[in-house]
Amino acid sequence: MKAVFLLQWRRFYRKPMLVLAMFGLTVIFVSVTAAGGQSGPQMTPVYADESMSELQAQRWLERLNGGDQFQFELMAESEARSYVAEGDVSQAVNLLETDYRLLVGREDPARFALDSFLRRIYSEELRLENAEQTTPGIRADMESSLADPALTLTVESLQGEDSFQYNGQLQLLFGMTLFFVIYTIMFSLVRIVDEKRTGTWSRMIISPVRKWQMYLGHLGYSFLIGFSQITLIFLLFRFAFGFELGERFWLLIAIAACYTFSIVALGLLIISLITKPQQLGAVIPIVATGMAMVGGAFWPIELVTNEILLAVSKALPITYGLQALTSVAVYGNGVQAVAMPLLLLLGFGSICLAIAIRLMEWRSAS
Amino acid sequence: MLETDKLTKQFKDTIAVDDVSLVLKRGESVGLLGPNGAGKSTAIAMISTLMKPSSGDVRLNGKSVLKKPDDMRRVLGVVPQKIALYEELSAYENLKFFGRLYGLSGNKLEQRIEYVLELVGLADRKKELVKNYSGGMQRRVNLAAAMMHEPEVLIMDEPTVGIDPQSRNHLLETIRKLNRDEGMTVLYTSHYMEEVEKLCDRVYIMDHGKVIAEGTKEELKAILSDQETVLIEFDQNYPELFKKLSEIEGVQHSTIEEQSLKLIIPRGTRMLAALFHEAERYGAQVINVNVQTPTLEDVFLRLTGRKLRD
Repeated sequence: MKAVFLLQWRRFYRKPMLVLAMFGLTVIFVSVTAAGGQSGPQMTPVYADESMSELQAQRWLERLNGGDQFQFELMAESEARSYVAEGDVSQAVNLLETDYRLLVGREDPARFALDSFLRRIYSEELRLENAEQTTPGIRADMESSLADPALTLTVESLQGEDSFQYNGQLQLLFGMTLFFVIYTIMFSLVRIVDEKRTGTWSRMIISPVRKWQMYLGHLGYSFLIGFSQITLIFLLFRFAFGFELGERFWLLIAIAACYTFSIVALGLLIISLITKPQQLGAVIPIVATGMAMVGGAFWPIELVTNEILLAVSKALPITYGLQALTSVAVYGNGVQAVAMPLLLLLGFGSICLAIAIRLMEWRSAS
Repeated sequence: MLETDKLTKQFKDTIAVDDVSLVLKRGESVGLLGPNGAGKSTAIAMISTLMKPSSGDVRLNGKSVLKKPDDMRRVLGVVPQKIALYEELSAYENLKFFGRLYGLSGNKLEQRIEYVLELVGLADRKKELVKNYSGGMQRRVNLAAAMMHEPEVLIMDEPTVGIDPQSRNHLLETIRKLNRDEGMTVLYTSHYMEEVEKLCDRVYIMDHGKVIAEGTKEELKAILSDQETVLIEFDQNYPELFKKLSEIEGVQHSTIEEQSLKLIIPRGTRMLAALFHEAERYGAQVINVNVQTPTLEDVFLRLTGRKLRD
């Protein structure tokens, strides 16, 4: 096994371009695209409807800026429209007395988060106003109670089902990293097909090396090259680009390992089904891009509403990889919250691996 | 030392190897001769434990290797028909890998690499990438890779296909040296008759998956001992004349090669007068007439009715 494993590194040394290209593409794509985004809240222009007084508008603004997820700035309608028209922001908010309208310039995943946030604030505020009509002074009571609570309750979700928080930088980093590493891993596994074509695989079979050692040498290399790529990218963006990856970096690395394992196994399964290198050259990009689109690498899975796509995404390792990474880095969750996605990744990988090796052996025997 | 017993391989409706029994004694050089598609490569794949036979057995020193191939794999070196090497690596790196597969390491591995590179005449170009080698040099590395673990038995599957005459001679000389000087047992398959004649003590002739004849070169040629081969060269091709000559009484087989005609006739047949008479009638000029003793090629022709390279 050691000989086969070391051989792959020697071959990588001679032909490193593919791996370096995937690494470089991830870095370039994330750094260039994320440069337009921010990790902190983006300014959202707000303009009040003519029917509203300035005082009412200010009260709504204070209420909206109460959280730290968004930062709203009150301005004239023309100015807000100009921001949107020039593409400086994706959307602006038109405040009405009991409702709001969104002025959307371009599709942005953050729109859904903004809409959800506005709906919650408006609904709370309107309920409070209704309650004030029957119970005067309830607002003051509530505010004093909130300022000095009788008890503090901390809610932590085991499944990481917190309300949706969108972090564009991390979405991009995780999505692109998990997407490009699929290419690195799967194209490294194509070597098995190539070895069968050139006859070096047969040469190994008639040597004293066992077949499982041959597979392990190849899979070990593919795993390590994919895992190294993810880890190096996370390290680079954390320390060189200053991305906030949360306090549990080690957990992100553990997730990366489980994800890499599942992709190595999936790659082997694809190779066992499609045996011609030319066909693999077409199939791998289709699988990688398809998985990335449905699994939430290009946009958050939370934005997908189609039931079929959501059902398909449940069968894809990238969905669980992204879910686990986001849970740890964005929501600050711990091991318990990501235990299920990690188990699913390992289970998925084990099943793919077992089927793939059986299929390959069956093919070579027949 | 190595024997196959009624080895058979069936792929769906096709029987690629049919009831083949071979014997290789220690230190012997045996040829497996046959045209493309005769079943030689399939037979070799089964002997080298790469493929399981549908029936029959392969034995090394009397023990079957089908269920426990390890002993066989340790003593066997196989030179495949394809150039089974990593072309992006150098000859040295390839040999290092194949040596490691057999558990070689450290000084022993380095010494063995040096030895086999010397053997195949590539010691001074060992650092060059295989993809930059000529076809002949790649074939030599292909042989060297099979030699890394000092095999007792060397099986070669058409190792000289597609290479230049110089590399071919070098390769044949190397194989001869391994067999005669180092006592290595060799099973050599080819459809180049002259290679087998040059290298092998005994020959098996295969066609359509079966062994159709076997013996020493002399024994096989004795099949045609009552016959002789007449090669007549003309100034050009005369299709009608060639047809006429092929029909002369006593001609057992004829082959046309461009402007030459090869006839197999019973020894002592008097046909030269008829030959010159017909040639004159067709206005053909005879350039050369050569009466030969039969070659293995002639034996094959007689046995199968076709040429080896058909």
